Amino acid sequence: MLDKQLFALSGIRQTLTVLAGLTLGQAFVILGQGYFLAQAIVLSWQRQPLSHLTGAIIGFALCFLARQGFNWLKSRVADRFASRNSQDLQQQLLQHTFLLGPSLVAQQGTGNLVTMALDGMPEVQNYLQLILNKILNLSIVPWVLLIYVFFENLTAGITLLLMFPVIILFMVILGLAAQKKSDEQYAGFQAMSNHFIDSLRGLKTLQLLGMSRKYADNVYQVSEDYRKQTMSVLTIAMLSGFALDFFTTLSIAVVAVFLGLDLMNGVMPLFPAMVTLILAPEYFTPLREFGSDYHATLDGKNALTAVNEILAQPVPEQQTEPLTPWQADSQLELHKVAVDYDNKRHLEFDDLTVRGYQKIALIGPSGAGKSTLLNVLGGFLDPAAGSLNVDGVALTSLRHEDWQSQLSYIPQSPYIFAASVADNIRFYQPQATAAEVDAAVATAGLTSWLETLPDGLQTRIGEGGRGISGGQAQRIALARTLLDTQRRIWLFDEPTAHLDIETEAALKETMLPLFANRLVIFATHRLHWLNQMDWVVVIDDGKIVMQGKPADLAQDEQYQQLITKLRGDFDV
Amino acid sequence: MFKHDQWVRPDLKRYRGLLVWSLILGVLTFVCAGALMFTSGFLIDKSATKPLFAAIYVVVVLTRGFGIGRPVFQYVERLTSHNWVLRVTSHMRKKLYTVLETDAPFVQEHHQTGDILNLLADDIGHLQNLYLRTVFPTVVAGLVSIVATLLLGWFDWKFALWILLLLIAQVVLLPWWSFLMKRRQQRQQKQLSNAAYVGMTDAVLGLSDWVIGQREQAFLTTATQSAQALAASKQKSRRFGFSRDFWLQVVFLLLPLSLLVWTNLYWTGSQTLANWVGAFVLVVFPLNQAFNGVSQGVSELPGYEDSIQHLNSLSPVVRQLPVQLPAPTTIDQLRLENVHFQYDANSELLLNGINLTLESGAKIALLGPSGMGKTTLLQLILGDLTPTSGQVALNGTDVLAYQEHRAQIFAVLDQKPFLFQTSIANNVRLGNEDATDDEILAALDAVQLGSLIARLPQGINTPMAEAGFGFSGGEQQRLALARIMLQQAPIVLLDEPTVGLDPQTEQALIETIFEVLADRTVLWITHHLQGVQHVDGVIFLEDGQLAMDGTPAALYAENGRYRHLYALDAGQE
Repeated sequence: MLDKQLFALSGIRQTLTVLAGLTLGQAFVILGQGYFLAQAIVLSWQRQPLSHLTGAIIGFALCFLARQGFNWLKSRVADRFASRNSQDLQQQLLQHTFLLGPSLVAQQGTGNLVTMALDGMPEVQNYLQLILNKILNLSIVPWVLLIYVFFENLTAGITLLLMFPVIILFMVILGLAAQKKSDEQYAGFQAMSNHFIDSLRGLKTLQLLGMSRKYADNVYQVSEDYRKQTMSVLTIAMLSGFALDFFTTLSIAVVAVFLGLDLMNGVMPLFPAMVTLILAPEYFTPLREFGSDYHATLDGKNALTAVNEILAQPVPEQQTEPLTPWQADSQLELHKVAVDYDNKRHLEFDDLTVRGYQKIALIGPSGAGKSTLLNVLGGFLDPAAGSLNVDGVALTSLRHEDWQSQLSYIPQSPYIFAASVADNIRFYQPQATAAEVDAAVATAGLTSWLETLPDGLQTRIGEGGRGISGGQAQRIALARTLLDTQRRIWLFDEPTAHLDIETEAALKETMLPLFANRLVIFATHRLHWLNQMDWVVVIDDGKIVMQGKPADLAQDEQYQQLITKLRGDFDV
Repeated sequence: MFKHDQWVRPDLKRYRGLLVWSLILGVLTFVCAGALMFTSGFLIDKSATKPLFAAIYVVVVLTRGFGIGRPVFQYVERLTSHNWVLRVTSHMRKKLYTVLETDAPFVQEHHQTGDILNLLADDIGHLQNLYLRTVFPTVVAGLVSIVATLLLGWFDWKFALWILLLLIAQVVLLPWWSFLMKRRQQRQQKQLSNAAYVGMTDAVLGLSDWVIGQREQAFLTTATQSAQALAASKQKSRRFGFSRDFWLQVVFLLLPLSLLVWTNLYWTGSQTLANWVGAFVLVVFPLNQAFNGVSQGVSELPGYEDSIQHLNSLSPVVRQLPVQLPAPTTIDQLRLENVHFQYDANSELLLNGINLTLESGAKIALLGPSGMGKTTLLQLILGDLTPTSGQVALNGTDVLAYQEHRAQIFAVLDQKPFLFQTSIANNVRLGNEDATDDEILAALDAVQLGSLIARLPQGINTPMAEAGFGFSGGEQQRLALARIMLQQAPIVLLDEPTVGLDPQTEQALIETIFEVLADRTVLWITHHLQGVQHVDGVIFLEDGQLAMDGTPAALYAENGRYRHLYALDAGQE
């Protein structure tokens, strides 16, 4: 019944002990509340004056208040535990994300990870808060009450005791069928809501196809079909709640009738009967509450499982052997390297040597492994096998502070942070002076664009800010890198793939002079970049199929064929 | 928040019968629950006087009846209310769709930030909860309070007034207080929640930069600072909820206490009267559940406020269009006559006197730097935008007169064709509803997807969600192309359909496009020159005007700039 993951949370034992103590206390005041209430009613029934009832009424009121007080306390304790743990989990999740790096993000999907870290945590918190008290209430409260009822009236005690497993049995029988249906419906709900969002997103397409007006009826029809389906599912799914209600109210009715018969036969006086009648609903309350909020707890449990799965992924080892800064005569050797992810081999090659301020082009079809190689070179992905060597220092991966602090990695769409242009440029060097930023802006060719903006460098871009074009994003990423003069190793992953030819030509003019005195590794489909490279690596199907100087490779027939394919039908 | 509301109130009038039923059933559920305790209490008190069984027979039957009635009514009530809400939801979905449909060409641009389309769809889900969690329980609790007061008033109207006062405190005052508190927190939480989203997105999407920048601490702060402030604020709200629940119970306590005193004072004149004491005291406890739901439900109201505002802020877009004509059977000529365009009087002139003629069957490529109005020109041709001056004419008639039947004239293939979460066949059939399976297969063959789809287990009936995984960018474009083939529109506008594809895929796609569209008029917006020899004319859009213009061969021979770009694209420079 208790989720094993809960025991791994910090402070769980302590919290459970405190909550169990409070619940036990609460069980006794619930008992007291019923006891004094019954007493007051019986005294009235005996037509005693109000003054004789004072003690019972005060006892009832105090017990009632104490019970609510316990509730308050228990909620607070559970809430504190749940909040602390869900915040810890969030912190751990992000720390782990940082350590595992972009490959985790790629594996999980960015949207998924953001949702997990933001929406998942309140779900976990809700789950933790509900589940502990639910379980404790169910395992303590009914039994304290039942023992008392047994002392007062054996028949009622037996009735209540017998009803418990009967209810659970019916709940299980109906519940299993219903739960399955209910889960299906939940899935159906997702499908339905996807269909609806789909129709909104696809509105433009529908309109272009001349279907958009007619489709409104389709939207209604699909929604109505879903309603009919849902109703047929709910008819069964709600039966489990019905069964629970039916048997508890029926037991109360049965108990009342039994008690009435015992009273008429003079077997028992009024007080025990009254107290039993009052306690009967209380006896079933924890069971009723246990079944509620099923989906809320399920969501929370799933979110907790998902986070734990990520936390269970081993953190790759950071390399620590000191490295000297990359220089004109530096050398990186990769030998017999193999790279796996998602349990699949994505890249495998014998030798690749990178020297000094080489300009290296990576070419090959999409999905061949160019980005994988860049991820290894960026230290985001650890090779499964092979040896790496930077200026004589042997490493198992490039996940190394000394290495990464010299890097710049510019993908197809560089990420623009929700901040001013200046802060985006200062990303690696938050302390950079205004003059340094201006210089980087000028070199990256941003000056004329910034002049058109009323707020210039202070313009807010990124989420919620001003939209910028792909070419501008590339230039901002360039300026970002330029500001940190240490970063002499530039990795590019198809930086111009989304740009039109003229924007690309202009960007290229800016970039080429900056390549001097830097190691540049450049994955691209655009052949004109090869003219400025002094080494070309051809990757296909996860292997390096060719590498060499462009002029040498040009003699190779296979290479010529590849270039012809990449060139398409330009008849030159 | 309900002033000028167009989304909640009209729906309350729909299916009034169902609505009334579900409320009556809700009241009956609590009446039965109370009556069960009432009859049980009376049964026991009466039995204690050891009457004949016949005297309590009716009460025994009633006890059982109410015992069964409560769960049955509750079950039926839940089904009825869900049924009502879902029916209303279908209407709301259609309504939302219809409103957005009037702005179909721009719906993505106008509702993109923060994924508003998703939000709007969610808003309807929120309104469902508004009914089920707030409106129904509140109305039911109110009705139960009235019923209880009336019944009591029959015995003692002064006492009934006092009880009414206590009930009002629980059904109106405490929920109102709860609502006000929650509303204040909600405003703060909304801002924090936005900030948390931006922070988390910046952290996760910019992860590679944080890693190579080695800014772990700043990364953690960016990701969690607002999220934790939000969590703290939500904790405060929850704590408020805990104490509110406590005080609610304190007020509730006054009910049984009052009843204890009242029954002792007024129902103990004789034993017959005293037999009713238990009944009158116990009846009140099941009502606790009804009142509890109200404060909880009402405190959720501020959360729905945004949803209601979002939906109410939408209004249909109305365009002034000339009298609509049927689509011409053949199109000889598409002409842009001195077209000027600016978005509004203050923005710069985006297009400044465009003159262009496309004869039937012509294939023209349109190039130009991004942001120079290529897509705007396309929207003007389609008639989604109205020129500031000049006109777009089909066979001499303004294109704006054909908007009703536009799909018979124009087809569009853009950067990211939208494929619906349905079967492959249904996606293609969107081009022509009457298309047979054979025609769909033929179209898929023509775009060279035949063999790929033949390999799928359910063929053309495979759902996109399952097949989508296997569909690359190029293949998705081919699917959309098959759709266009069925659409049979004489003019096809291509809006950078090959962006983001690798050169081999791009080349193959371009070849297929021009093969299947051989007999159509094609205007092709492209971002570079790959495949340019498939067209008979190339035009450059720059600074709002058409710059170069000529056949690819002529431009290559005569125009230095074209030659430069061509060489660059071909990898020669």
